[in-house]
Amino acid sequence: MSLLEVKNLHASVAGKEILKGITLTLEPGSVHAIMGPNGTGKSTLSNVIAGREGYEVTKGEVLLDGKDVLAMEADERARAGIFLAFQYPVEIPGVTTSAFLKTALNAKRRAAGQPEIDAMEFLKLVKAKTAVLGMPYDMIKRALNVGFSGGEKKRAEVLQMTMLEPRVAILDETDSGLDIDALKVVSEGVNSLRSPDRAFLVITHYQRLLDYIVPDYVHVLANGRVVASGGKELALQLEAEGYAKYLNTAA
Amino acid sequence: MNALAILDHSFGETYAKRLGVAPWSGALPGPKVEEWRFTPLRALAKVPFVPAPVDAAIGSIPGNVPTIPGAARLVLVNGAYRKDLSDANLGKGVEISQGKVPAKEGSSLVALNAAYAPASLAVHVSGAAKKIIHIISIGAAASTPAALHPRITVTAENGSAITLVESHVGLPGQAYFSNPVTSITVGEGASVRRYVSVDETNEAFHLATTLVKVSGGGHFEAFHLGLGGALTRQEIRIALTGENAEVRLNGAYALSGHSHHDFTTVMDHQVPHCSSSQVFKGVAGGESRGVYQGRIHVARDAQKTDARQLHKALFLSRGPQIDCKPELEIYADDVQCAHGATTGEIDPNHMFYLAARGIDPDTARRLLIEGFLAESMDDISELAVREQFGAALTAWLARYGTAQP
Amino acid sequence: MVATRETAAAVRDVEQYKYGFVTDIESDKAPKGLSEDIIRFISAKKNEPEWMLEWRLKAYRYWLTLADEEPTWAKLHFPKIDYQASYYYAAPKREKLASLDEVDPKLLETYKKLGIPLLEQQMLAGVAVDAVFDSVSVATTYKKKLEEMGVIFMPISEALQKHPELVKKYLGSVVPYSDNFYATLNCAVFTDGSFVYIPKGLRCPMELSTYFRINEKNTGQFERTLIIADEGSYVSYLEGCTAPQRDENQLHAAVVELIALDDAEIKYSTVQNWYPGDADGKGGIFNFVTKRGACRGKNSKIMWTQVETGSSITWKYPSCILQGDNSVGEFYSVAITNNRQQADTGTKMIHLGKGTRSKIISKGISAGRADNTYRGLVRMGPKADGARNYTQCDSLLIGDKCGAHTVPYIESRNPTATTEHEATTSKISDDQLFYCLQRGMKQEEAVSLIVNGFCKEVLQTLPMEFAVEAQKLVGISLEGSVG
Repeated sequence: MSLLEVKNLHASVAGKEILKGITLTLEPGSVHAIMGPNGTGKSTLSNVIAGREGYEVTKGEVLLDGKDVLAMEADERARAGIFLAFQYPVEIPGVTTSAFLKTALNAKRRAAGQPEIDAMEFLKLVKAKTAVLGMPYDMIKRALNVGFSGGEKKRAEVLQMTMLEPRVAILDETDSGLDIDALKVVSEGVNSLRSPDRAFLVITHYQRLLDYIVPDYVHVLANGRVVASGGKELALQLEAEGYAKYLNTAA
Repeated sequence: MNALAILDHSFGETYAKRLGVAPWSGALPGPKVEEWRFTPLRALAKVPFVPAPVDAAIGSIPGNVPTIPGAARLVLVNGAYRKDLSDANLGKGVEISQGKVPAKEGSSLVALNAAYAPASLAVHVSGAAKKIIHIISIGAAASTPAALHPRITVTAENGSAITLVESHVGLPGQAYFSNPVTSITVGEGASVRRYVSVDETNEAFHLATTLVKVSGGGHFEAFHLGLGGALTRQEIRIALTGENAEVRLNGAYALSGHSHHDFTTVMDHQVPHCSSSQVFKGVAGGESRGVYQGRIHVARDAQKTDARQLHKALFLSRGPQIDCKPELEIYADDVQCAHGATTGEIDPNHMFYLAARGIDPDTARRLLIEGFLAESMDDISELAVREQFGAALTAWLARYGTAQP
Repeated sequence: MVATRETAAAVRDVEQYKYGFVTDIESDKAPKGLSEDIIRFISAKKNEPEWMLEWRLKAYRYWLTLADEEPTWAKLHFPKIDYQASYYYAAPKREKLASLDEVDPKLLETYKKLGIPLLEQQMLAGVAVDAVFDSVSVATTYKKKLEEMGVIFMPISEALQKHPELVKKYLGSVVPYSDNFYATLNCAVFTDGSFVYIPKGLRCPMELSTYFRINEKNTGQFERTLIIADEGSYVSYLEGCTAPQRDENQLHAAVVELIALDDAEIKYSTVQNWYPGDADGKGGIFNFVTKRGACRGKNSKIMWTQVETGSSITWKYPSCILQGDNSVGEFYSVAITNNRQQADTGTKMIHLGKGTRSKIISKGISAGRADNTYRGLVRMGPKADGARNYTQCDSLLIGDKCGAHTVPYIESRNPTATTEHEATTSKISDDQLFYCLQRGMKQEEAVSLIVNGFCKEVLQTLPMEFAVEAQKLVGISLEGSVG
């Protein structure tokens, strides 16, 4: 069975149709990249899969392990294994990254019928994971994303991903606002999570990120539809030629 | 209960007879009335005011009235419109008339005004007015203390635009009590700018009420300056009644001697998607007292309201008192509301910095005070007014701003 | 949102207020109602000195003149209280105890259920507890150890017997009998409470704690707490409150007086979790409390922290009178109202001395159909040269049926004093909520987390033992508020 299936997905925001029939199939272990110009529905796709309010699905389905994702609440989807790395991670004043992570981790563990993680074990785990990601451990004592630089925010997203071990990780423009060093660190973090039973959906505007996170498949999204699919060479082709020809055919 | 002695005994029955209304039987708010806790009216209640003569002889307009170039000039003396002193060349889009005073329910001061105002000066705006309308209210008591009740009604039709300047001044001599009421209706998409300067004589009492209704898409910009008077209160109540209405209400006061000045504002957000901002600044020297009370009310359904309010006061000497009560009353959740308030004196570090640049202390003080007050005046979009009001403050500072603490 | 509705419904079904049980214990009650006879009865029951009775009667007679002066300025709506319908004295029988071992096992069980073990071997290390059950103190732990250090920590009724000179000197010196309607009533009828005296120079190594419990039906609780920190001393004092779940409203009108002498510091923390009434506003405690501290000495400090989650009505303004030069007052508050609860709470910082400083951090959270008001006064007196105040009031609204209000009074008569006040009102942002949900948290859990973050600045001032409880309480108080 495929891990994540998006079938003929139509979605609109405030009555305006943004996604006009998207079909994607993610097999376990695969990395799919979604590329496309701004305003073609890339972020809408990630938000609809993750279950953000304000998007109306008018047609189609999304299945995770064959289960209907669209019938689940956002938190259920997350516990079922869908992880969205946000383009703009929100700041939550007063809540430390550590407290946040622990709460999220325990929510997942409870849902899986596992006992809550004890404080010592949790700290050990965070220490190990931050070390792997080359993050200063002290970062987890700071309020979540508050006063974080762009790079720190994205690293914190990857840290969460590492801790929560999702089935499907969606990276929404994770490269935006990152310098090359931060991009490398974040990509290495993502690559270390690649595994035969996990799939990635990497949404990006630029090919640059895909030098570091090498995809198995590349899809071009334009005007709410997948207008081309191919291997990683498609990304290079886009880099050279631009999106112009897809915009014309889509119009 | 909770009220001081009423004033009707001294107001005589002349007005009442002429207007065909019963003598005012209300009472002035007493010290236990929450909205008046910082502004006691004891001193006012002691003065046996008589109705001010509506035909008082006026030689010339007092010198402290700002000159607004090109503005039409409407003069009220003791509340009565004086054609002989006015220049009612209004230009297109504006008409004036004298109407009956609406006997609407309101605060006791509005009721007092309604009972005794000689007539209402009605300004009707039907289009984009070309000229600024400058209304000058002069208080002139003869040989005995007198009370006046100016009444102004402004109606700006949908889509119209007008700029008003209101100056409240008086003739030297006996104490007078001015109790003006201005009602303003801002129609849909209309734009009203109103700039008020209160610079009464040192013996005068001035308790003004402004009632504003702003309809959908309407803009209301106001600035109030408070300079003189023994006791001045400028109460401004604004209701935002249509979506996308916008209000900018700013003010400044500068007090010396035993002046008491009170800004009381009520910003009533009744519907969603409106915004309001308020910046009030004050400086107080001598033994004066500055008061700011501002309430922002956001009704249950008024989602997406953006309402802000700021009051900052500066002491210029040892002796004044500053009282401030910024109030938020919020019944809708999806709103952005905030207020801030500070009191203090001129930052010694700033003084030192200026001294280190070779500026003498008096100049430095004036500079810093002007800079402090400027924040409230920068939003005055009518440049002529900004200049005139700025000049009035500069003159005030030249007189009182250098007093050492 | 289907799941949210289900969660909310599930939460409503379970017993929300876990302290709502009643202890079936025989009690000794004075007849219902209020009169000079009742006051004489209370005073006699406590074997009080004559001056104490006189003071009570003076307060009572004054109170009678206040019949029309029950405060109405707060943003609170409640039916008129019939002061003759309450019992003013209720005590568990067998009150004279030689040691803790003689405490009625039912009482011990009650406090155990409340998480307050009174037997020393089970006790929280480092916390001495005075347990007040209805009108009387039933147990004070770690008494001996404290005595050795010179700390007096005992029920105020006992202090009147053993240290009458101290009580006489300070009682009513911060909150006089004529202070306000509820405080005056308290002066007339208070039955017990805690008395604390910390001797010169001692940093009390233990947290002192009083746990208040209303058990009896139709009983008002009127406790009186008096804490004196002598020169150079320090004490941290905790107060907790619960009451059974009942359909009738019950009255709680306490008075707390704190006195800090030169260089002394008092930290007073409250977690108030009286029964809040049910979702429709039936029942619950009417909490009218006068708490005031006097920083009498130079460099003294009083710090109030309160977490107010219970009561159907809260009327409470823990204040500081900053008399001593360079004294410091701080007020940290979290007030949560849900369902039909109403809170009008805040502080007064009265700056009299030179160089005095105060800080106010208030976090109000309103949910359901509740109203939550911050009301505060900062006053800079003419002699308070160089005084400073900083105030930050933030309100959070959860849902569109509640209200959040901020009513600060700032009065300054000193040019060299500075005041700074900021207030904001907002809601939990959809983005924050979605972010948490996307990480797998349930809505209730996400709200609790975000609100705890919102309150953090206040919660972190609580002693450790209380902080954890308070955090949980924040979550519990808001259950059913989103959806």
